Amino acid sequence: MNIKAFIGTAAIAIAAATSGAAHAEDYTITVWSGGTDDNSLYRVDAIEMAADYLERQAAIRGEDLNITIEKQVWSGWDDFKQAVTLAAESGTAPNIIVTGHEDIGPWSQAGILRPIEDYVDFDAWPLNQLYDNLIDVSSYDGMIWGIPQDAEARPFFMSKPDLKAIGYSDADIDALPGKIESGEYTLYDMLDDAKKMQDEGVVEPGYGFAPRVNNGTDYWQFYQSFGGEMVDPETGKLVFDKQAITDMYQFFVDAVEMGVTPKTYLGGEWDTFHTNVATGKYGAWHGGTWHKLQWENQYGLEDFFDNVSFSLIPAGNENGRPNTITHPLVYLISTQGTDDDAAISAELVAVASEPRINALHAVQSGHLAIGEAETTIPFYANDRWASEATEKLLPYANSIPNNADFGIYWEAMFKGLESAWAGTTSVEDAVNQAQATVENGLGDQIIIR
Amino acid sequence: MTENTSVERGINPGVATRPGDAETVKAARKGGPRISPFGILMLSPALLFLLAFFFAPVVLTAVFSFTNMTSATGITGGAYVISPNTLRNLEWQGMDKAVTESLSGTSITVDEAALSRAAEAGVDPDFLDDIESRLMGAHFEDARSFERELKTLPNRPRRIRDLKLAAEPFGQSILNTRFATRDQAVTAIDAVAPDLTEDQRDAVLTEAYTGWVWTTDNFKRLATTPATGRLLTNTALYVGLTLSIFNVGLGLFLAIAIFYMPKASGSVFSVLWLLPRITPVVLYAVMWRWFTWDDGFLPTLAAQFGLPSFNYMKGSVPTAWATIITLNGFIGASFGMILFSGALRAIPVQQLWASEVDGASRWQQVRKIILPQLKWPILFVTCYQSLSLLSSYQEIWLTTNGGPGNTTNVWALEAFRIALSNFTGNLEYGLGAAMALVLVVVGLTLSIIFLRLFKFGEMLEKPKIEF
Repeated sequence: MNIKAFIGTAAIAIAAATSGAAHAEDYTITVWSGGTDDNSLYRVDAIEMAADYLERQAAIRGEDLNITIEKQVWSGWDDFKQAVTLAAESGTAPNIIVTGHEDIGPWSQAGILRPIEDYVDFDAWPLNQLYDNLIDVSSYDGMIWGIPQDAEARPFFMSKPDLKAIGYSDADIDALPGKIESGEYTLYDMLDDAKKMQDEGVVEPGYGFAPRVNNGTDYWQFYQSFGGEMVDPETGKLVFDKQAITDMYQFFVDAVEMGVTPKTYLGGEWDTFHTNVATGKYGAWHGGTWHKLQWENQYGLEDFFDNVSFSLIPAGNENGRPNTITHPLVYLISTQGTDDDAAISAELVAVASEPRINALHAVQSGHLAIGEAETTIPFYANDRWASEATEKLLPYANSIPNNADFGIYWEAMFKGLESAWAGTTSVEDAVNQAQATVENGLGDQIIIR
Repeated sequence: MTENTSVERGINPGVATRPGDAETVKAARKGGPRISPFGILMLSPALLFLLAFFFAPVVLTAVFSFTNMTSATGITGGAYVISPNTLRNLEWQGMDKAVTESLSGTSITVDEAALSRAAEAGVDPDFLDDIESRLMGAHFEDARSFERELKTLPNRPRRIRDLKLAAEPFGQSILNTRFATRDQAVTAIDAVAPDLTEDQRDAVLTEAYTGWVWTTDNFKRLATTPATGRLLTNTALYVGLTLSIFNVGLGLFLAIAIFYMPKASGSVFSVLWLLPRITPVVLYAVMWRWFTWDDGFLPTLAAQFGLPSFNYMKGSVPTAWATIITLNGFIGASFGMILFSGALRAIPVQQLWASEVDGASRWQQVRKIILPQLKWPILFVTCYQSLSLLSSYQEIWLTTNGGPGNTTNVWALEAFRIALSNFTGNLEYGLGAAMALVLVVVGLTLSIIFLRLFKFGEMLEKPKIEF
């Protein structure tokens, strides 16, 4: 090969390589999701589907776009949140984070997040049909930080056979959710029924009422049942409602005293709880809409609608209201990577929020639709659980606040509940301790009522 | 009798004989310090480890404990963000409403200046032509309505990100912009609200800072929170009981029992007691779950004998305590056992023979001969194990996890939860570090007390007689 020919070939090779480089865009996008079990893998798989779609779109435009998705899921929350915060500190955070909306407050302040509204168009499909309240939940301090990934409700469940055994007729059972909704049937009526079930030998002692086994959003529902408010609507400050906290602690202490819930119940195992639900051991319990699928798929519960009645969490007294809390997970974009990485990540999230794709997650995991259009997709609409829960529970659902300080209040509330429940302190002392903790930790950022 | 101690003789035998080195000899006679470069060289790996794994973490913990560091403030430092919440907080603090309004003002105006700024920023000229021809002179209240207009233009960028970047040069708002340094924030504030006094601007910047600040609040919180007392009691109970019953008590019993056993069965026995220590902690915790859970070994066994049968690990407060103390104690007992066994072998066996000739019982041998000579190992085990128990939480975390109802929670576990692992994900590094620092201080104080109590100085004195 003479020199001229060599230079010519080299030039062609370089031109080919550079022109290729100009068109080929390679992205590696990492996505981490917390609280995700085998039923809810579409939280991360949807991003993969979206990547495939974007690649096809680019191919039609004549661009060579390669997106590699690296997925990682955690079944719990503690480890996941620890992993995200520490990874962010060390500069190795994932591009897309799927987490509870309450993390938006602290993480946006810490500079871990990019506001997703800078990267996507909320006026365009599919984001323009998302429920407004879910968009609010994904917003904090004047910015939209995330896109809702799912919604849910946390119903109150009662065993239909056990209700029948203590004298409820079929009509009574059917009317029960309505009575709860109107506030006629309260939490204390429920305790009486649970006690009756135990007295008549329908359920074993201590199995009458089974609340959530560990800390969770669920306990704020009972605070609301007794008239508590988490945020003052006027000032936006957190609210510690002493009366409601007292009544709520007292309710669980009363449940223990009546013998329908064990004194040492908190800190139990989810596995035991789910097994007991599926085998019909509990008289009344509460959980999430997604649990129903777990009971059926993993724990062998059959004929859910024949055996289980579901409703809002009943009101506790005349101050409170029947309620349920929705705790949407959100897709968040981290400050990791370049602006282009973030733009691609955000586009992936937008495509993953396509109603048909999101419906895969909703139906498989027992979650609820994130937008109007999703409810009209036959796959979702024909699913009895999804559509009934959407219709009967979601309209009453509210969410916990996106406030960077809420975690301190939450921990204090739950610690007080634990010590009152286990009987290590009186209700009054537990409330005072919780109050002292939030006053110490939050100062004038919380209103004590 | 020579004047040097055996130790000194062993280390530096030539010193005393070398002429003209009287100072060293004097120092050696007095038992004063002599620094040998070789000694320092030999010690240097240990010193480095000490520096890296003890002093550095302690210093960092001390530094962290005087900050309000959380997952919201981040560790590496903050930025300056004026957000609606910042302005609201300023108003609560009594800031003039006119000031906060001037800061929140957004003005988006399409004029020549904005267009040239946009052209400089590299916005697509066709798109700029669209903006100039259709929106010249227009004024918008907020970015969203301006962007909505932009979306209707024919040459709009395909990517929404590019559209938003193109819109930026037209805006004046500093709201929700993250300024990396104070100077950048000052410049931006001066541009939108030039009338602010210095004090007002400082107040705004203090409120807008997202990072951590120095504070002693963590210690105040610990001192005034009612939960502190409970945690301290739990920790004292946990360390005291585990240490006295198992780490020292059972360890001593095992060592003495093995000492009097025939050698073969003694070693089998000691290997069995080592199992809890050599089993990985997660596996060990899982085994305890099987052992004490609802349908586990112990409850099933208890049911056979008509005893109360339930989840011993979490089902009641006394059984939960018994579980965590026993499972930690079984690990600790082997440590004492090995140390005491070694020390027992060092006791001249002639003393025991002599006592037997005098008709001493086993118990008398233990009390009069063995225990007095085990003083030093007992001190060591007590001191070392109380410090390691104080800071250990992983076994509790993996088993009762502080339950039922927070009754078996200890200081170290709570510090870990606050700083690194809790359900709400609100990690309070500063408060957690303050709790850890308290542990360090308590540990050091305890060590000093132990050394005094066991008359450590006397033990290191020159022997009164020499063999």
